[in-house]
Amino acid sequence: MSAVTPVIEQASSGRVRRFLTGPVGAQITAVIAFLLLWQLVTLIAPRVPTPASVAHFLYIEITGGPHGGIVTGQFWEHFAATLRYFSIGLLIGFTAGVLVGVVIGSSRIGQALLNDTVLVLLTLPAFVWAFLATMWFGISWQAPVVAVAFSSFPFVTINVAQGVRSITPELKNMSSAFGVSRRKRFRHLTLAAVTGYLFAGLRFAIIIGWNGILLWEWFSGQEGVGFRTRYWFDANRYRGFVGWVIVFIVFIVIVDRVLLNRLQARAFRWRDPGEVSDGIEQNGG
Amino acid sequence: MTETLAQAAPDREALALELRRTAAGSRRRRYLAVVGGWLAFLLVWWGLAALLGSEARLPSPPRVLQEVREILAGDFWTQFWASIVRVIAGFFAAVAIGTPLGFIMGRSRYWGNFLQAPVVVAGSIPGLTYAVMAFVVFGISFWGPVMAVGLISMPYVAINVAEGVRGVDRGLINMSIAYHRSEQQIFRNVVVPSVLPFIFAGVRLSFSLAWKVGTLTEVFGSSKGIGFQIRRNFQLFNMPAVIAWVLLFCLFMLLIERLVLVRLERRLFRWRQWERD
Repeated sequence: MSAVTPVIEQASSGRVRRFLTGPVGAQITAVIAFLLLWQLVTLIAPRVPTPASVAHFLYIEITGGPHGGIVTGQFWEHFAATLRYFSIGLLIGFTAGVLVGVVIGSSRIGQALLNDTVLVLLTLPAFVWAFLATMWFGISWQAPVVAVAFSSFPFVTINVAQGVRSITPELKNMSSAFGVSRRKRFRHLTLAAVTGYLFAGLRFAIIIGWNGILLWEWFSGQEGVGFRTRYWFDANRYRGFVGWVIVFIVFIVIVDRVLLNRLQARAFRWRDPGEVSDGIEQNGG
Repeated sequence: MTETLAQAAPDREALALELRRTAAGSRRRRYLAVVGGWLAFLLVWWGLAALLGSEARLPSPPRVLQEVREILAGDFWTQFWASIVRVIAGFFAAVAIGTPLGFIMGRSRYWGNFLQAPVVVAGSIPGLTYAVMAFVVFGISFWGPVMAVGLISMPYVAINVAEGVRGVDRGLINMSIAYHRSEQQIFRNVVVPSVLPFIFAGVRLSFSLAWKVGTLTEVFGSSKGIGFQIRRNFQLFNMPAVIAWVLLFCLFMLLIERLVLVRLERRLFRWRQWERD
């Protein structure tokens, strides 16, 4: 008995060590290290709110209650307002991007006519669209929609055009030689080739459009996530500001990493599992 | 037999000539289409401006051109220089932080796992966050945009360097060890040259993003720079000036990307020419 215990202990401590040095353990350690580092920074710079105070702020902001004289609890209202404009703008930007992308990708003339314009649009920072949208539409529902649609549109276009260009003419010729029907050709050839690029475009559009709507709301909004972030920033309550920043970062990371990765894996279930890339994409300024 | 050959030869020549002629024709047609694209763009813009008939909504191309001339005659170069110096300083910060991080991530599996999530999350944070953070930390100062550019480009540099370190040729290192090269020599002559292109790729990948975030930071906390000028004219509701500054911004970003970065890349990696050809 006395000889067995150390062996068990050794085994379990080995397992713990293996867990801690494994990928999951390393990630958990990273999160803890980040929180510790944050706490440490608050000791040096007292203006930076502590993790606990931010968590407490978010709890009150979501559940509702007095917060330094300001009654809160409209968390979901603000979130829903942002999501509404964001999704409409994204839908418009994505649809327009796919249409123009197909034109650029499939026709030489289309490419020559439109490619340069799209390249120029690609270099524009999102805040420019936020400003222009306000100057065009004032503070209205059209302005955020336009800001999202315009900032995401060129990224979708470029990706879709590349996807359409990637369809190999050999496969196209072969399938028409073997009399494959138009519908089948579209599904198995065109869609299969373009899907990856569509996803890349959608990801870009989501990340860049999200930045665009936050910027619009920050500068000109009356409600929404960006507005609320600015509200606490202007009120000099940095824990509110940091709390909302965490909310919009968590949202975009979840959408990008979890939802889109799953969708992509599903769309590519016919491929080798290792092939679906998981790098970081260009983020929109 | 000889007859058919003799017959085929001129045919082939004619065919080649024909091909060359159509290639030249298609190239000419493409140039025409590109020029046509720009003309169409200008015409649509002009038409819309005429239709709206309001300078505050959409000024006409000549009106914007006049504004561009005024800006170029005025203090454009001071403003532009202020922006570009900050972006370059930010890149140095990104390389200074991102390279060691990338080295650690590439060398050890544990640190690779440890840093993977933070670096990926840092890469998808909206630019607004960095811009406001830089403003809070530095106020209106030179260092705000530098910090924002450094933070936004750092993940790209780190991930690329990690990739480069993982890809260093083990065979070359083993050979150097066999020939009794010192650790320092191996690092300088094997590791650095194979990682350098990846550092550069990280900077290039993040170039347009960094330029945008740098300008955004100037919108928040700066008293000069292109971003500051765009914001000032936005607040004055001066649409022609906003569009003129935006156009100049686009133009110079494309110029820098095409002329400077592409040339620099070629110069830095001349020795890799054989690899690319």
